[in-house]
Amino acid sequence: MLDNLTAAREQMALSLSFHIVFAVLGVGLPWLLLFAEGQALRRADPVWYALARKWAKAVAVLFAIGAVSGTVLSFEFGLLWPTFMERYGGVLGLPFTMEAFAFFLEAIFLGLYLYGWDRLSPRAHWWTGVPVAISGMASAIFVTTANAWMNAPVGVVESAGHTVVAEPLAPFVAPTAGPQVVHLLVAALMVTGFGVAAVYATGLLRGRRDAYHRRGFATGSTLALMLAPVQGVVGDWSSRAVARYQPVKFAALEGLPRTSAGAPLSLGGIYDPATGQMRGAIDIPHGLSLLLHANPTAVVSGLDVVPPADRPPVTVTHLAFDLMIGLGLGMIALALAGLWLWRRCRATSTRWFLRAVVLAAPASVGALLAGWVATEVGRQPWIVYRLLRTADAVSTQPGLELFLYATAAVYAVLTVSLVAILRRLATGAPADLARRPVEVHQ
Amino acid sequence: MTAADGVLAAILLGLTAYAILGGADFGGGVWDLLATGPRRDAQRGLIARSMGPVWEANHVWLVFVIIGLFSGFPRAFGVLSRVLVLPLALALLGIVLRGAAFAYRQYGRPDPAGRAVRGTVVWGRVFAVASTITPFVLGVAGAAVATGQLPADGSAGALAPFRSPLPLLAGALALATCAFLAAVFLCRDAEMARAGPGLVADFRRRALAAAALAGGLALAGLPVMWADAPALAGRFDRAVVPAVGSVLAGAAALILLWHRRFGAARVAAAAAPTGLLWGWGLAQYPWLAVGAVDVASGAAPPATSTAILVVLATGMILVTPALALLLRMVRRAGPIERFGDASADSRDVTSPAEA
Repeated sequence: MLDNLTAAREQMALSLSFHIVFAVLGVGLPWLLLFAEGQALRRADPVWYALARKWAKAVAVLFAIGAVSGTVLSFEFGLLWPTFMERYGGVLGLPFTMEAFAFFLEAIFLGLYLYGWDRLSPRAHWWTGVPVAISGMASAIFVTTANAWMNAPVGVVESAGHTVVAEPLAPFVAPTAGPQVVHLLVAALMVTGFGVAAVYATGLLRGRRDAYHRRGFATGSTLALMLAPVQGVVGDWSSRAVARYQPVKFAALEGLPRTSAGAPLSLGGIYDPATGQMRGAIDIPHGLSLLLHANPTAVVSGLDVVPPADRPPVTVTHLAFDLMIGLGLGMIALALAGLWLWRRCRATSTRWFLRAVVLAAPASVGALLAGWVATEVGRQPWIVYRLLRTADAVSTQPGLELFLYATAAVYAVLTVSLVAILRRLATGAPADLARRPVEVHQ
Repeated sequence: MTAADGVLAAILLGLTAYAILGGADFGGGVWDLLATGPRRDAQRGLIARSMGPVWEANHVWLVFVIIGLFSGFPRAFGVLSRVLVLPLALALLGIVLRGAAFAYRQYGRPDPAGRAVRGTVVWGRVFAVASTITPFVLGVAGAAVATGQLPADGSAGALAPFRSPLPLLAGALALATCAFLAAVFLCRDAEMARAGPGLVADFRRRALAAAALAGGLALAGLPVMWADAPALAGRFDRAVVPAVGSVLAGAAALILLWHRRFGAARVAAAAAPTGLLWGWGLAQYPWLAVGAVDVASGAAPPATSTAILVVLATGMILVTPALALLLRMVRRAGPIERFGDASADSRDVTSPAEA
């Protein structure tokens, strides 16, 4: 039997992880659609047109599931965390109200876009995609801003557990908002790019070496691989913001039990709460001090700056963080390899590279989820950092465990059918396009 | 009138839009479930065709209501979440299954070679059943907060909203209203699509039947409300004008349907639930959940309410023309044979010039 806190947290983790995959594809895919349809318009090119039509179908299904799984979250805020909403719903109100309108515009213009292919002029049709792309990104910015406020709350005055003054713009000035938002947007574009590239890389590996597959692959992989090094820089910025505003989370991310001068960089390992030591970690002496302060003997705060009751679960946070960074570094290496191959015109003909891109798709989703696990678990035991404990925010209703199992069952069924539909969509170039002569250029 | 009242009015408007537009989509699912006769497949086709481009935008009204509530009335949102756990959880399940099933049914349907994605038939059924359950539980949730029998801490238990007659009746009324709205709208859509007199007659019959049922339930609801929701009954004087308006609109819709004036019938049909919701809102004001939380105790700090009101106004200015554009494009659709839904048609490739 799960207690309410565990059940509610697991359910939140499940619902967020499920939704975020659709959310990031909803951020990225519309931009790729605009690009492909724009190419089709400019060059009157049927291959680009076919790609845009295909991607639009994928967007349609993914958006529907993203919309319903996002609705789940807005209900769950209240059903699982009523105390949190009572106290801080007003503070989060502004970004979420803006998010509602962004979602509105996205849904309306997506209706125009998906059903307007034959009813609008080609140019007008392209333009209906622009608000979809912009509002998809705006949604992500607003929601991430709200989350950033939970990590670094500012602008509220409370008395006896009631919010008496809430600065309406507080979430937008939360100091972690900038890096968190940019980090997520870049991640969204990378997941989208690798997802698209992987589909066409699979086709290329199976010998479908036509312009349709090469362009699909090139579009997705170029977007994702170009951003991989950028994400390295943004991630560094983000972790510095954490070090500054959430030192305990930072200590958990890095697996640093004790405040120390010349702190080592811990790779992997398990935290032992009894002894307060990291077990099995590979330590790079002075590494963390060097990375954070460019000074081998600089002091870095450890978990011991707060009592044990205020520390997050270290092992999960640390391993998720390491996994994210490991995958990120792998993607940067892949980007370098891609650049090298591209300059030799061998990017779409090198089998190991295509296979690596296929693997990069799940890897990028893994990095995205690991990043969220690191930031959400790392914020524990607080739901709003240093203002409200997660344990005090959870619902006292019985039966949350059943709610969790029902959600898991429904999402499992939804996933099975979604995969079946997407697999059918990914069955190669449309028949009449495949009959056209393949262009001879690399 | 404070900023919080303004936010409350905006939420009521959003709720009205959801009841009419989202309600008609749920009603479409009800008629999918009840599709019968020689034109069964044509009925289902018309429903899918009418919902396709708009159901997601219509669904956003619900998100708008939820977010407006937790932003403008955070404490009330907490209380409502506690006392309405079961109906809201069931509604959520229905909403998820309905939306996903609609998309899966549409995009999993047979390809040119005649092969459907496995499970597509089942999703069609799921769509219909979930569309039927959801408005019922939403109606239960809405009426349960009027009874004054739900303490703010949720100690009455998850089943409490289902234990008194008014919420159950309101659930049935919500379901009948959704079916009524959908049937009226589908009459018009069938006519516009030149789908043939048979299909129009099918939905006209359904609209008349649903109107009779919804009207009967609404009238039966009055004495039940007197017994079950004394707070509402005590302030019924405020609700008289909208309630009378609702009755007149319902009657007008019936007459217009009878005379096959489907365009005007749409407007009258939409006005009937609008009057009911506004009458209800006025009678229940200032309670958000009777006896548990009211506007003053539930609202966000004044600065927040003002900011939210500004965002709501700005947002509506952005959204309204876009919504009009979408509806205009949908209306311009030609006869049913030509329609197909463009996003899922079998013609994967046409040249850009043809598009």
